[in-house]
Amino acid sequence: MSALTQRVSSPAEISCAAGKLRRAVADVEVSPNDVITVFDRWARSLQARELDDTPGIPFLRMWLRRGTLEPIIARELGPNGLHGGWNEYGRAKCKAFPLGVIGHWPAGNVEIQPILSMTCALLGGNAALVRIPHGLLDLTQHVMEKLVESDSGEILSSRIFMAAFDHDRQDLQEAMARSVDGAMIWGGEEAVLQIRALPFPHWAKVAVFGPRISVAAMDAAVWGNPDEHETWCRRIARDVWQFDQQACSSPQALFLEKASGQSTEQFLQALRHAFETENQAHPRRTIAGALTSAICHARASWLLKDTAHKAVFPKSPDWTLLVGSGSDVPQPVQGKTLMVLEVDNLAGPISQFDGNVQTLGLAIADPEKERKLTLLAGKKGVDRIVKLGQMHVFVPPWDGVDLIRPMVRMVRHVCSKDNENAN
Amino acid sequence: MQQFEDKVESLLAIAPYGQPPEERQASLLAILKEELSYACQRHDGYKNYVEHWPVDFQSAGQVADLPFLPVGILKANPPLSLVHRDEIKRTLTSSATTSQSPSRVVLDSSTARRMTKGVVSIVRDFIGPTRRPYLVVDTRDFKADANALGARGAAIQGLQPFANETTYCLSLNDQGDLQLDRDRLRDFAKDRQDSEVLVYGFTYILWNHLVKPLMEEGICLNLPKARVLHSGGWKRLQDQAVEKEVFNQQLARTFGCSPERIIDFYGMVETVGVIYPDCSEGNKHGPVFGDVIVRDPLSLEPVAAGEYGIVQVCSVLPTSFPGHLLLTEDRAQVIAYDGCRCGRRGISFRFAGRIPKAELRGCGNLQVSRLPVN
Repeated sequence: MSALTQRVSSPAEISCAAGKLRRAVADVEVSPNDVITVFDRWARSLQARELDDTPGIPFLRMWLRRGTLEPIIARELGPNGLHGGWNEYGRAKCKAFPLGVIGHWPAGNVEIQPILSMTCALLGGNAALVRIPHGLLDLTQHVMEKLVESDSGEILSSRIFMAAFDHDRQDLQEAMARSVDGAMIWGGEEAVLQIRALPFPHWAKVAVFGPRISVAAMDAAVWGNPDEHETWCRRIARDVWQFDQQACSSPQALFLEKASGQSTEQFLQALRHAFETENQAHPRRTIAGALTSAICHARASWLLKDTAHKAVFPKSPDWTLLVGSGSDVPQPVQGKTLMVLEVDNLAGPISQFDGNVQTLGLAIADPEKERKLTLLAGKKGVDRIVKLGQMHVFVPPWDGVDLIRPMVRMVRHVCSKDNENAN
Repeated sequence: MQQFEDKVESLLAIAPYGQPPEERQASLLAILKEELSYACQRHDGYKNYVEHWPVDFQSAGQVADLPFLPVGILKANPPLSLVHRDEIKRTLTSSATTSQSPSRVVLDSSTARRMTKGVVSIVRDFIGPTRRPYLVVDTRDFKADANALGARGAAIQGLQPFANETTYCLSLNDQGDLQLDRDRLRDFAKDRQDSEVLVYGFTYILWNHLVKPLMEEGICLNLPKARVLHSGGWKRLQDQAVEKEVFNQQLARTFGCSPERIIDFYGMVETVGVIYPDCSEGNKHGPVFGDVIVRDPLSLEPVAAGEYGIVQVCSVLPTSFPGHLLLTEDRAQVIAYDGCRCGRRGISFRFAGRIPKAELRGCGNLQVSRLPVN
């Protein structure tokens, strides 16, 4: 275990750690700029070759860069927010203050999510108490060691405690909830409901990033252009490969708008090629038996159900394309299993979205058509509408909310002297 | 169809574990290809699946390359069938202990007959051919519905060919719970200390409704020549922290026999006619009319000896449903691909429980609608 990552076995260890974190926040104010300075060094240290194959690391490197984070701070905390200054709004001024200790409950199998979640709290000047799911312990420890090396002044190290314990230790979950001033909760329905029911203090602010799926859509003018097949198919494959298709922003289905006289056959061949290429570049290192079983089941049930259904897959569970038609958003299979569904009009499936769809990845030739589809998608509960190939770009708002602002207090000051003059 | 039926019959007629692996591979591959062709003719959806398999089954060089179905597919209702409704003689249902919906397999008269022959061939290799008094540690109410038979009923019935008389020693009380009928049990055990007897029960039923109550009363049945067969899995006993060794010792003490006379076998209604008893080395084997492939979950290729993977069962017995090649949800370790010290040829393996359920999945999983949107 590293200094920042500890296996905990008693509620007292969590309370004690939270107490130290709270004192660290109270003793020293750190501005977002101070945090970004350390993050920038951390990003550079993550370029080490031994981390190249670690899932999510390229993504994390990009997120931690100053060029990524400064615009986000400016938008969420105001133009002077970067240096912890006051922003003027007429006669009033506002400044972000940390909530205190933020508890993080990341999802169990999005590798870098404990770290991403933690960075949001740190950027707001908070301390972070993070529960590490068992399966992510080694990776998280490894990445956090790089942070410690990059943080010689212990600006951030003193504000982080990563607690490793089994999710069924209710006493530890409760101790963690009692110790925090805010919480960021990520995961599936069951996990989110369990964690939200924990005994948080009445003042704690809770941000929930619950279960969602994402889909992709292309119009005929794009998929029907053979010159663009390779580029678009590579983008789709990359969106599918990231996080093994288990993130809320991972596309589970690709809707293809039909075009008269055009067959999707050539496009599907290009997609198959892109999947094979991506699989060679980023092969899976391990898989849960249950996921293999689910992938085999999805292949069989799809083809048995309807003789019009088609599929393309290798002998291994590496990837699967299930091809058919229809506007219904399918239940996600994950594990790089993409449903490719032909529809008459992309407005058809989008108008059936029920709020479960977080991200819509688009490839539309006509901007006016895209504008209309975007409006429809927003109305139907979609929070992110982005270009295919950029479905995972982690930029707020995420799930329709900011990432840093929910974990700060925006303190408003109206100068008393000005008030006297005004009177 | 007649041609491959004859080939299956000839496999059922020979010693179930005597064929060298290469010989077995060749005969199974040939028959399974014919059965796959037959199944494709009978079921359009199955044909669609087989046609999309990455390897053309007709040119496959080994059984492991043939298209397998995940066993969960057999939970379909109505069940997947390769025969006309009029030809269905019986529907078997699984116990569904780990899921809400049971598997359903339909049997026509040919498949049912081969199923019986398959079980007889295997069990005979372990306990000998003679008929003997048969004690069923269950209730006779399982025989009530002859058309729909559960896993327990199928196992009880599968051993009937070894019985010259049958005694059921459990009954249902007013609350519908199983209870031990001590009088019937006493009558069965009386004067049989020198006789071969056959005992069968589901593993957890044997333990909870026979071994535990008799142990508490310090009763030994004094049946030193009993052969005790049990199946159904260990999950419910693991919940009670009962290990296999303890189970065997206590069961042997209760019957007054040696622990070597107790045989745990694995069977699923989906692998109709093929059961997998433990050999004297504690391993399981596939018979000549079936085989077992243990697949690496990462590649779905067969694992090397010593490694663990997902169990695929193969059987040439069913022709009424597409159950020839089924990827189960169980794990096993391959002990060796031949040469078990018990003398049985072919793969030896040990079950290693169910595939663990996935940990709570990432933020991309969901079950229900999230928001009411207009």
